[in-house]
Amino acid sequence: MRWLVLGLALFAGCTATVARAERAQKDNLIVSLDGGLTPLPLPRDRPAPVSVHLEGGLQTSDRAPLPRVTRIELGLPSQGVMSTRGLPRCAPRLVRDAKPPEALAACRDALVGRGKLQASVALPNQAPFPARAEVLAFNARIDGRRAVLLHAYTANPPTVSVLPLRLRRGSGRFGLSLVGNLTPALGPWPRLRHFDLTLFRRYSYRGRPHSYLSASCPIPKSLTAGFFSLAKLSFGLGDGRRIGVAIARSCRAR
Amino acid sequence: MPRSIPLAFIAFALLFAAPAPAAEAPTRDEYVERLETICKPDAEATQRAMKGARADVRAERLTAAEGKFAKATTIFGGTVKQISAVPRPSADSAKLGKWFTYLKRQQSYLGQITSQLRQGNGIKAQRLTARFIHTGNLANNVVLAFGFDWCSFKFSRYG
Repeated sequence: MRWLVLGLALFAGCTATVARAERAQKDNLIVSLDGGLTPLPLPRDRPAPVSVHLEGGLQTSDRAPLPRVTRIELGLPSQGVMSTRGLPRCAPRLVRDAKPPEALAACRDALVGRGKLQASVALPNQAPFPARAEVLAFNARIDGRRAVLLHAYTANPPTVSVLPLRLRRGSGRFGLSLVGNLTPALGPWPRLRHFDLTLFRRYSYRGRPHSYLSASCPIPKSLTAGFFSLAKLSFGLGDGRRIGVAIARSCRAR
Repeated sequence: MPRSIPLAFIAFALLFAAPAPAAEAPTRDEYVERLETICKPDAEATQRAMKGARADVRAERLTAAEGKFAKATTIFGGTVKQISAVPRPSADSAKLGKWFTYLKRQQSYLGQITSQLRQGNGIKAQRLTARFIHTGNLANNVVLAFGFDWCSFKFSRYG
C-alpha cells in the first residue's frame, strides 16, 4: 500500500480565523478559490484518510461576459499525493454518453468524488444562459498517466461532458497538479463560472484499507496546529491570459 | 517696534504666497506600477529570508525560525514605510487608507511572532500567525481591483 502524505508542514495556527475564499484580480477578471480538509484533526506522525473539498470560480468585476477557459490547473501540495493502488479505473468511453446513473453503473468502483459545475453558455446570436451540472469524479488513466475523470451532466439542456484532469508532477510548493484542457471537453460556448469538487474514497485492496487521499499534520508536540498551502487554482483563458490564486489552510494535530 | 516689521512681512508673505504645487496624484495604474517596483525586490528578499522557516518550526528550531521572522519583519516594515510615502490616487485614498491599516497590523503581528518565538512561546506564535494570515487576506480583498502581484499578501512567500 502506498500512503501518500499531504505534508502539512507548517507553521502554526488557529483554524477558525483564516479567511475563506481567497481571490485575485487581473484586469476585470476575478478568480476565487476556497477549500479545506476533513477532518481537521490529523495525526502528527502518520497519514490518515482525508477528504479534500475545493471550490473556485471566475467572475468579472464589471459584469462583462466571462472569457472562455481553455485550461484548468489545480495545484496540490508536493508532499501530498493520492493512493490509487488497487483502485479500479474508469475508461472515458464508458461514461461519454452516460447519464449519472449509467455512469455510476459503469464506473461506481472507480468513484473518487462528486461536485457541481456552473457555466454560462454563450451561443452565437443568443443571450447567454446558465447551465448547472452534477459532477462525478472517477479514478482513471489517460495516456498512461494517472488522472481524475470528471463526468459532468446538465439536465437542461441534457448534455454530458467528460473532462480528464491529468496528474502531473512539478516542483515547488504545488508540485502535484491536476491539469485539464477544457476546449475538447466543453467546446467553445460554455464559460466556466464556478465549480466545487470533493475528493474522497476509502477502499480495500488485498484485505487492507486504503484511502484515495491521506494526510498528516506533522507539527512538533509543543504546537497544536499548523498552516499549509492547500491548493492553487490557475485558469488559462482563450485570449492567452492566465489567472490564478492559492489558498492556505490549517490542520490540527490530534 | 522692531518686531512688528518682520511679523507683518511674514503675514504679507503668507497672504500672497502662491501655494506650493502639490505633487500630482497618480492614476491607479501609475500607482500600482510604482508600488510593484518597490514590492518586488522586498517580496523576493522575504522569500529568501523565510526559506526553511516552516521546517525549522516543525523541527522545533525556534531560534532559527525567530531569526528568519525577524528578517521578514524588518523587510515588511521597510516596504510598508516606502510604499506609504508614495502619493496615492485621490479617488482611492479611503481604500488605500484601509489597506495600510491592515498592512501595519500585519507588520505588528510579524513583530509579535518574532518576539514570541524568541521567548519560546510556540502556541502564542501560532495564534499570531493565524491573525497574520487572516489580516493578509483582508488586505488583499481591499485592494483586489488594483491587481497587485508583488504587493499582495501571499502565504507561500513565508517559508
